[in-house]
Amino acid sequence: MPIEIVMPKLGLTMTEGLIIEWKKKEGDEVKKDEVLFVLETEKVTFEVESPEDGVLGKILIQEKETVPVGTVVAYLLKPDESISDLEEIKPPPEKEEVKAELLFAQEPSLPSQEKVSRETRIKASPLAKKIAKAYNLDLHTVEGTGPGGRIIKEDVEKAYEKMQKEAASLHPKVEEAPAQKLVTFTGMRRTIAKGMLASKVETAQTYMSNTVDATKIVEYRRILLPYIQEKFGIRMTITDIMMKITGAAICQHPIINTRWTDEGILYLEDVHMGMAMALDEGLIVPVIRHINKKGLAQIAKDRIELIQKGKENRFLPDNITGSTFTLSTMGMFDIEHFTANINLPESAILAVGAIIDKPVIIDREMVIRPMLNVTLTYDHRIIDGAEAGKFMRTLKSFIENPIFIIA
Amino acid sequence: MGDKLKVAVIGGGSGGYPAAIRAARLGAEVTLIEKDSLGGVCLNRGCIPTKALLQSGEILKTIKDSGIFGIKCGDGKVDFRAVISRKNSVIQKLRQGVERLLSAKKISIIKGTAMLIDPSTVQILETENKIKVDKIIIATGSRPTKLNINGFDGPDVLDSDKFLEMEDLPKSAVIIGGGAIGVEFGQIFNRMGVEVTILELMENLVPETDKEIAQAFEKRIIEEGIKVFTKAEVKGITHGKALKTITFAVGEESKKCNAERVIVTTGRRPDLSYLNVDTIGLAQENSTLIVNDHMETNVPGVYAVGDVVGGIMFAHVATAEGECAAKNAIGQESTISYKAIPSCIYTSPEVASVGLTEEQAKVKFDIHVGRFPFYASGRALVLNQTYGMVKIIAERKYGEVLGVHMIGPHATDMIAEAVLGISMEMTVEDLAHAVHPHPTLSEAVMEAALSLSGGAINMP
Repeated sequence: MPIEIVMPKLGLTMTEGLIIEWKKKEGDEVKKDEVLFVLETEKVTFEVESPEDGVLGKILIQEKETVPVGTVVAYLLKPDESISDLEEIKPPPEKEEVKAELLFAQEPSLPSQEKVSRETRIKASPLAKKIAKAYNLDLHTVEGTGPGGRIIKEDVEKAYEKMQKEAASLHPKVEEAPAQKLVTFTGMRRTIAKGMLASKVETAQTYMSNTVDATKIVEYRRILLPYIQEKFGIRMTITDIMMKITGAAICQHPIINTRWTDEGILYLEDVHMGMAMALDEGLIVPVIRHINKKGLAQIAKDRIELIQKGKENRFLPDNITGSTFTLSTMGMFDIEHFTANINLPESAILAVGAIIDKPVIIDREMVIRPMLNVTLTYDHRIIDGAEAGKFMRTLKSFIENPIFIIA
Repeated sequence: MGDKLKVAVIGGGSGGYPAAIRAARLGAEVTLIEKDSLGGVCLNRGCIPTKALLQSGEILKTIKDSGIFGIKCGDGKVDFRAVISRKNSVIQKLRQGVERLLSAKKISIIKGTAMLIDPSTVQILETENKIKVDKIIIATGSRPTKLNINGFDGPDVLDSDKFLEMEDLPKSAVIIGGGAIGVEFGQIFNRMGVEVTILELMENLVPETDKEIAQAFEKRIIEEGIKVFTKAEVKGITHGKALKTITFAVGEESKKCNAERVIVTTGRRPDLSYLNVDTIGLAQENSTLIVNDHMETNVPGVYAVGDVVGGIMFAHVATAEGECAAKNAIGQESTISYKAIPSCIYTSPEVASVGLTEEQAKVKFDIHVGRFPFYASGRALVLNQTYGMVKIIAERKYGEVLGVHMIGPHATDMIAEAVLGISMEMTVEDLAHAVHPHPTLSEAVMEAALSLSGGAINMP
């Protein structure tokens, strides 16, 4: 029996996936673990690898098609099988049911209607059918003028001419306005847009900013960097330290690590730190889980792994969901001060600016210190200003004296 | 009663009587006005009598050939009066049949000549009765045209009407016009022992036909003993004591031929006499009535069908037009289509065509041509009628059947399959892969189609 290649379920929340690209064609030889196709969910793109050596026998789901999790998208022929083995296989009916069930939540009747109309008999002359096939024209879109509404050659040719004209009329528009380019939305862009807008509309975003002395964290990083490098082979960054410190500060102020629910404010025990990350396709927030229980080296290791996965489009949905608080840094762009948008369903987000040497007054003397701006965006529905202030005070003390966090 | 739509049909021929029946079936109160005999030209002075005479000739031919089949019955003799009477009895039966059909549909038949008074009034010339109607269907048919040639008016120069009324056979005849009517008349005469010469203006006999078929036909006709002059332009007829002399030119060369009788079959023109089409302002062109594809004239509610609208003057076209007009008159939209009109010659061998000729198709399409000769058909061999072929012209890319041409036994019956095929837009594959009964002549259609779709079975 040929092996069924199915749309994988990459996380608890995944119900369907879009096939972006088939890396193999029908008839291609495939080695185990070679990438068969690339799928896109709302959140990630993911490469699906071949489970076995074989030949890609039949592609059932084409590029740009979205199918529910578990749908058979292709058949892989084992080395001793041939294309004729596929003929015995009928698409398993239970998959159809799964499809209907999963789609129901979004588009209750569309798929079945579509199916019905596909199955209705088309009255068309043999010649009309043949020409339509050659033109790649769907006869459902053609109006028949022959006896009894039969589609005749002339109807197909008119429909094709119309299609050609419509296609032709689209081109001049583009040529007239060469400065414009329409990039259709990706699933990721839609998700970002939805999340960002909801964040602005559904929460009472409020901001609180502070500039802190980063002397100690810069110094500690300098000391720890070679040590961690040598011991773990990892290059630690200020961001790692900031995430560790912020995680520790959150533990002191549980109100920050909460969620707004219909029933009330949900306090979360574990701190899963989201770190905002820019991919070519857009913003994504991979998660370092249990950051409050992890050492700096582990945090750095997690961060590096996540960045690598992001660059290679290998995120699993679980890598990018479930954060309880997010930290966003703009140091790499030399941004001194900015605000961030709360990453729903979290209650707050911290925007960390670049460390910049500044004149500051210490003991009535002006000295130059590496200074760091941190800005908290918090949902005032949950977190009052005083609570946010207390958190920011703790954060400032931890940044300025990181040794406190081991207390 | 009063709320029924009233329809007057003028003319009871192949266009008129089907229009009357269709209108009555659709619930109209129909009056049919016929000045002569029900059935029109086709039944009385055209298709039917000609075929009846041809059949007598065919029987004679069969008797002459009977030795081939192992039957001894001598050479056979023509009793021309009996031939004519048999022809007339066929006509009589069919005429009665039409009359019964009309009365079964409660159509009132008025014998008389119709005149149009206004778009809803028809007057009968003879009785001066006026009939008020909602719709009028004109189906007055056509008459033979007169040639403007010296000597045309003399005695023993017959048009097709007079030919079919002939009561005796001449020893010799010249037929002017080698179209379908001319060659049918020619064969009737020839089979019955009349010495026949056919003069045709164009390059071949039956010049409307696909050239290859026309040439094959001409060859056969000449083999049968008919003298044929093509590209022959008739200059005049002189009347001698016993013989007429026809002078004609073939190119530069002037020629003469003699015969007892001259038959002129060079065409027909619409018969609009007494109708007064101008009084209601019906638009005409070259003395034919102009209609749209619903068979309606420029005057709303007045329709015209058959030979009066010109175009292809065939009985089956008139019938299709009559049905179309009746439906539209009653309010059922119907559009006439001339896409797949068969044309037939009932000689032996028969000739039948539908769609484009090879010459016409070549101009517009990239074509390929499939043929199957009857000498390769078992049934044709059994019939001892192996002359001829089925020829299919198809567009190369999609295999659209553009034209089908046949010469051979029962071609006029077999063409119906091709008519259906073309009107349904079948491809050569469809014709080729439909199973045909064996042994029949119709297999030739399948084989000709196969030769364009994978190769014939019974041809190398």
